[in-house]
Amino acid sequence: MNWSHIKLIFHREVRDQLRDRRTMFTICVLPILLYPLMGMVMLQVAQFHREQHVSLGVFGYENWPTNRPLIADGDESQIRWKKLSITGEIQETLNQLRILENSNDSLAEIQASQHFIVDAKLAEKLLKKVEADAIIWIPEGYDGTVTSTQLVVLSNQRWEKSQLAVRLLADRLDAWHQASVRDRLASTAIGVSVLDPPQIKQVDVSVPESKRALIWTKILPFVMLVWALTGAFYPAIDLCAGEKERGTLETLLCSPARRKEIVWGKLLTVMGFSVGTALLNLFSMHFTTAIVMTQFSNMGATEMVQSLGPLPIQSMGWLLLLVIPISAMFSALALAVASLARSTKEGQYYLMPLLLVGMPLVMLPMIPGVTLSPGTSVIPVTGAVLMSRAMMDGEYVLALLHLPTVATITVLCCLLSVQWAVRQFESESVMFRDSERSSVAQWIRNVWRHRDETPTVNESFFCGLIILICLFFGRLSLGSMTLEWASIVKSTVIIQIGVILGPALIMAAMLTRSVTKSLRLSSPRAMDVVVTVGLAFCLHPTYVAIATAVSNEYKLGDQTTAMLTQFDAIIGSTSIWYVLLVLALLPAVCEELVFRGFLFAGLMRNGGHVRAILVTAVLFGLSHGVLQQSITASIMGLVLGWLAYRTGGVACTIVFHIVHNSVSMLLAASSHNKQPIPQFLSWALEMDDGRLCYSTVWSTLSVGVAISLVAWLSTGNTKDRRTNSQKSWERVAQEAKQAIAR
Amino acid sequence: MELVQVQNLCKSYPDAELGEFKALDNISFVARAGEVFGLLGPNGAGKTTALRILATILQPSSGTAKVFNFDVQSQADYVRHSIGFVSNNTAIYDRMSAWEMVEYFGRLYALHNDHLYPRMEKIFRKLQMDEFRNCPGAKMSTGMKQKVSIARALIHDPPVLIFDEASLGLDVMVARALQAIVLDLCDQGKCIIYSTHIMREVERLCDRVAIVYKGKILDSGTLPDLANRHNQNDFEELFFELLMQEDVGSRMQRSPVELPIAGVSPGLRSSYHGRNR
Repeated sequence: MNWSHIKLIFHREVRDQLRDRRTMFTICVLPILLYPLMGMVMLQVAQFHREQHVSLGVFGYENWPTNRPLIADGDESQIRWKKLSITGEIQETLNQLRILENSNDSLAEIQASQHFIVDAKLAEKLLKKVEADAIIWIPEGYDGTVTSTQLVVLSNQRWEKSQLAVRLLADRLDAWHQASVRDRLASTAIGVSVLDPPQIKQVDVSVPESKRALIWTKILPFVMLVWALTGAFYPAIDLCAGEKERGTLETLLCSPARRKEIVWGKLLTVMGFSVGTALLNLFSMHFTTAIVMTQFSNMGATEMVQSLGPLPIQSMGWLLLLVIPISAMFSALALAVASLARSTKEGQYYLMPLLLVGMPLVMLPMIPGVTLSPGTSVIPVTGAVLMSRAMMDGEYVLALLHLPTVATITVLCCLLSVQWAVRQFESESVMFRDSERSSVAQWIRNVWRHRDETPTVNESFFCGLIILICLFFGRLSLGSMTLEWASIVKSTVIIQIGVILGPALIMAAMLTRSVTKSLRLSSPRAMDVVVTVGLAFCLHPTYVAIATAVSNEYKLGDQTTAMLTQFDAIIGSTSIWYVLLVLALLPAVCEELVFRGFLFAGLMRNGGHVRAILVTAVLFGLSHGVLQQSITASIMGLVLGWLAYRTGGVACTIVFHIVHNSVSMLLAASSHNKQPIPQFLSWALEMDDGRLCYSTVWSTLSVGVAISLVAWLSTGNTKDRRTNSQKSWERVAQEAKQAIAR
Repeated sequence: MELVQVQNLCKSYPDAELGEFKALDNISFVARAGEVFGLLGPNGAGKTTALRILATILQPSSGTAKVFNFDVQSQADYVRHSIGFVSNNTAIYDRMSAWEMVEYFGRLYALHNDHLYPRMEKIFRKLQMDEFRNCPGAKMSTGMKQKVSIARALIHDPPVLIFDEASLGLDVMVARALQAIVLDLCDQGKCIIYSTHIMREVERLCDRVAIVYKGKILDSGTLPDLANRHNQNDFEELFFELLMQEDVGSRMQRSPVELPIAGVSPGLRSSYHGRNR
């Protein structure tokens, strides 16, 4: 790479962006203006909120016990009392509402009565007539006790002021009641002290700065990431889609700068603006909050608001470290996505989903209790945010412990994003895409006319997406079923055949010329099957160990744990042959035909076996509903994908899957039934806390045997097992590479 | 000296309707130093695709193309230093002045200040661009923009210049000025590949011509050679006849029974007769 080209492109793009008034306003001016404006509005709103009063109408105040009045003289609280008298028209309305005539009903009768809510319109009319947000009616003979007749409060919960009025009235009544009780207790031998709760002397050892940091650490990474995304958004569109639209990209493409250099130049520009926007927001927010919070403190704001002082300077340093890699990643992603667009408008359409996809990763660290752990550190963006939070909290040891994982994941994501952006720029179909007419009929006709022996890459992705969506709705609709064997059978059959296998079979029949090749059905070699069976047995202990580690890291919820226990009980009490048929054989066949069959065949095209293995593993993982299952299933998906690639079909992976599922079911059923370990398996299995598990000897030995079997499958003599279509695609890809090299 | 050599060049695109669309179908030609080689063809004939391959913007599907003896695929960096590419698509930056734009590309071509600025002054004087050297791209007329594009393509003094329908959208005055520039560059010994669909430009500028249609070269040679070969002195007529023949030929190949009357395809007949009138 020629860095002088990158530097030149970077300088030009930065200068160009700085000359664009719209970009400058959004990225530089807006952050500076936004927070002072927001602060101003907040101060105004706070003032408005403080001065807000509600009007409360009172009928029959003369009926209130005289010993302790509800409304004190010169009462200047938030409630503006309106003592109302029952006169002509009001009397008529009250009669229509049938409040007065029910006044002598007993408490139970009034509670059961629906009279005063029957005519809501009439009640609303009354509220408007007396110009009150709520009305309280005190019946004759009310003495303030629960045994006396009930107070009736008319309100309109559609009005926010009415809600507030009822709330304030309830507080006032509660205070009145407590004071009344105190009065009564004071005159007895019991005394008032019984009402006093235990006294707590709270000693807060945190320094104000760290308290402030705690609140900011929750808010700021989110705000910064949103602005980093926004900052990358507009330059990315302008630098890719905008240049295409204006025709200047072709000018640059025929210059001495290579595509990779162009991408890096543009990427650095987008990243610069992304970081700049985030930082400007940070500083603007810092200074504004410092001023606004001081004002709030003077106005007597709550302790929580007061603790939101300006962010400690050292914490800002850690945020800077966070924003650089995250901006780099989002900038590369934004650039790659924007390069797909032909115009600025199209770019905005494409980038909005990126914003939506990025949001959950940013929101996740804001969930209470989510901290830096081996589990969270591997999640892109989330890990980095939690890391910076740990730094801000002063938990340096924890942060350093997870630094390698977070750094590796972040760098990997950055590199992958950059690589994707470069590939987009190198793709002629992306750079010189003509406008396409969207006609569904035409598309269907073309798909039918040009259907191939195996599915295309896009068809595979589409099928995977359809299955995931169907699974989501299928599980939701089946979720209410009771956990018993009949419903397990029913839901498994519906999910496996209807939701997973169905779409793939329909697409294979409709979109391809050979269902057998699309599902990668081919007869396996006997030796392969034998090795696969051995591999499934040998990898099961490793799988169990991984599953246990995952469950320890990402704790299962109480409800899920209870369900799994119940599930084990059902398996244990059902004939094992039924269990194996429904829960081992059926899912193995359906899932393999789809994931290592149809989807794999499409993704394998153009020599994309790595893509096929990775994508099918992820999709296979996602198809499992529980997060913990998804992680282990993805890992298992990698093994199955590799096996499908090496053996050239789905037969061996079906065998592997059946063996794997069967062993899991047998172990679960035996554990539940507390069956003794057979003598011939005593070297491999042992009882631990009432559950069957693998012995240390077999767990260790199985890894060695598994490695040997994998090595055997990886050896050269297995290469010829691949199908003809697989070989032909690889040949084409090889020829293309050679042609390019020439 | 042959500065551009194109041998059996093919370029195909995936097409939703046809499965595969051949934009270039086995074309071959050479262009020499000190000559203007014209690529003449209607819209969508494949001229731009061929020139984009020469400019290393696109990769060929098969065949070879060499510029200044550098292969466009394996020695793309050298090729890019040996060409200047001007097309009606190569726009200029709206927020950069003419001077900044040319300077930017000069720097991309790694020209040092000692060499860059005198050359810029010379080009700006030659192309009469001094009066708008500080004018931003957004405020320039089409003619000014085209001059900036030419200046940008000339800044590194390449031996080969490619003009892809560069006169499209220009008024007569500017088009004439462009032709004068092209002829001047040719006199300086540059190899110029000039693609157009305007006959008069071809007659004025080109030493040799290749007529491109549907991705194929129907015929090529000097204008007198073509006139003798096809017994037609009017070049516009010659062009139309060649296109008609190709249309008829391809129709016969597809469905020999449905021969068009008088050998002229219905789509083009009206324009053919219209021009005769």
